[in-house]
Amino acid sequence: MVNQTDSPEDPSGTGQKSGIRHIYGNLEIIQEARRALLSRKRFSVRNQIYSAYLLVFLFAVGVAVVLILDIEQVENRLEFLEFANEFTSEVQQARRFEKNFFLYGTNIEDAIENIHMAESIFELNADQFSKILGASLQQSISKKISAYGQLLDQLDDIKRRNPEGMPDSRELSQIESEIRVYGKSILTSAQGLIKMERNALRETLDRSRMIHIISLIVLLLFLAVNAYLLVIRIYSTLKRFSRYAQRIAAGDFTPITPRRRYRDEFTELALAFNEMIKEIDNREAALIQTHKMRAVGTLTAGVAHELNNPLNNIMLTVHMLIEDYKALSDEERLEMLDDVAAETGRSKKIISNLLDFARESASKIETLDLNQLLKDTISLVENQIRFSGIKIELQLTEHLPHIHGDGQKLQQVFLNLILNAVDASSKGNKVQVLALPGDQPEFVKIKVIDYGSGIPSHIKSSIFDPFFTTKAKGKGTGLGLSVSQGIVAKHGGQIEVNSEVNSGSTFTVILPVTTFPRDIPIL
Amino acid sequence: MADKLSILLLDDEPIVGRRLKPALTKIGCDVEVFENPVEAVARIDEKEFDIVVTDIRMDEMDGIQVLEHVRKKWPRTKVIMITGYAMMSLAREAMERGAFDFIAKPFKPDDLRQMIANAARELGSTVDFTPAQ
Repeated sequence: MVNQTDSPEDPSGTGQKSGIRHIYGNLEIIQEARRALLSRKRFSVRNQIYSAYLLVFLFAVGVAVVLILDIEQVENRLEFLEFANEFTSEVQQARRFEKNFFLYGTNIEDAIENIHMAESIFELNADQFSKILGASLQQSISKKISAYGQLLDQLDDIKRRNPEGMPDSRELSQIESEIRVYGKSILTSAQGLIKMERNALRETLDRSRMIHIISLIVLLLFLAVNAYLLVIRIYSTLKRFSRYAQRIAAGDFTPITPRRRYRDEFTELALAFNEMIKEIDNREAALIQTHKMRAVGTLTAGVAHELNNPLNNIMLTVHMLIEDYKALSDEERLEMLDDVAAETGRSKKIISNLLDFARESASKIETLDLNQLLKDTISLVENQIRFSGIKIELQLTEHLPHIHGDGQKLQQVFLNLILNAVDASSKGNKVQVLALPGDQPEFVKIKVIDYGSGIPSHIKSSIFDPFFTTKAKGKGTGLGLSVSQGIVAKHGGQIEVNSEVNSGSTFTVILPVTTFPRDIPIL
Repeated sequence: MADKLSILLLDDEPIVGRRLKPALTKIGCDVEVFENPVEAVARIDEKEFDIVVTDIRMDEMDGIQVLEHVRKKWPRTKVIMITGYAMMSLAREAMERGAFDFIAKPFKPDDLRQMIANAARELGSTVDFTPAQ
């Protein structure tokens, strides 16, 4: 993220700024995060819900259409089955009359009537019959029916020709055997047809049932999967945002960057969060500045006092030079002037030290020598501390790895911890400042130890809260530790406290060292 | 020697001693300069000075301690405190503990000479000092 913003190809045109990173008010990074958040394709939760409903609806429509078609088929099959039954019963009827004719010589017209009825049913539904039986079978049945009909007609003829008694039995028995073959064949076909059609109907009904069951299962699965995805999507995002909130509360003001390939309602929330981060960040920067100005106020007394020493030296020297100008040798005059020059230089240093600290400059990240930083800090507070009758002891470790950060802000942290330590100490005590390698190689730690009153355990958890103070009204702002913790967190470090009532406190600042090529994640 | 005013000047700023020694010698004082309060106190133990001029704020020992030491050892000795501007409370404390007077930095040589002249008068001695107009 950071490297992207700093890269020379940065399209935002802040090229001249690249290389300088600010701890506070990183507008470009927030803008960058905003662009990244908005550049994704939109797929909102609403869209997901709507499209799921649409899919379910389309699916239901599809299932309904299939079922309607299926029912129609069932209807057709039932209708056809009815015809087939009718056809079969007509044929059976015809055969019964035919049998009676041969047995009892009853008239044959009823059989002819029945077979005509059967034939007309068959012809009327020829399409359906041929569809089910196949065209050739249908035609052969049709032929058999007409053949059967013709044979019956012949019988009728014979009967008419011989109204009395039985005609020639030879001719009859030949017709009889033929007619039985046809009749049986037609009946078998018709019964086969009914059986086939029944099976087909059962199949259709079975299929319809399967469609019902399967579509219900599919629907259930789809709804379950969609609900699951929706819940995961909302729940995990909410959880993520609650993590963001905790992170921000802890002082990490890194803007929210895209975590998904698409943007949705939560994107707006993320943008609002980033906007809030920007505001909090600005406010914290302002708070740090306010706090710093208070520290400057505290230091001013000490500095003003310290300034009196070189000023006094200059005053005495100049007055003596004026007084004894003629009596003094050139060498002595030069020595006095040298003193004046040196003392003015000393004054300048005392003031510029404070002014450097007080100056509201655009904070920038640079490589820092921790030892030098601590020395500078101590020289800033030295007068203040001597003034309080407390001894300060600085113990540095040679060749500590450099750290990366905003020197002024870190100085503010150390200054604050030292001044707190001084406030907690009574006259004659000492305050120790130690610069040590960290417990892990990529960290350094700075300890500020006092042997003062210590922190009661019941307030230990609140000391980093903003506006929490144990100092007398008007003495402390309650911002020092809160601001310090914010600054240290920005540097990727932390502050630890160890304290025992009446034996003193140790504040340990742990900071990451500069590692190459990786930059520490300051945002 | 007896009529010369003996002064011990203690300030941890070396230039103060360098400039004030000739300034006070000129008005007829016998000046011993110290930068280290411990050494100065050791010398006070040896010799009774007429006047001790000491800075209030020093690293090893503060001016108040020096004052108390002098008051205990040589009650007749006048002690003049040099203070910084921001230390009026300390100056007041010094006065309560029996300092003769205090002078705030930065001061002119004549300011101190005047104060020494006042102290000398109280001691029944005189110094060769007329304030410049």
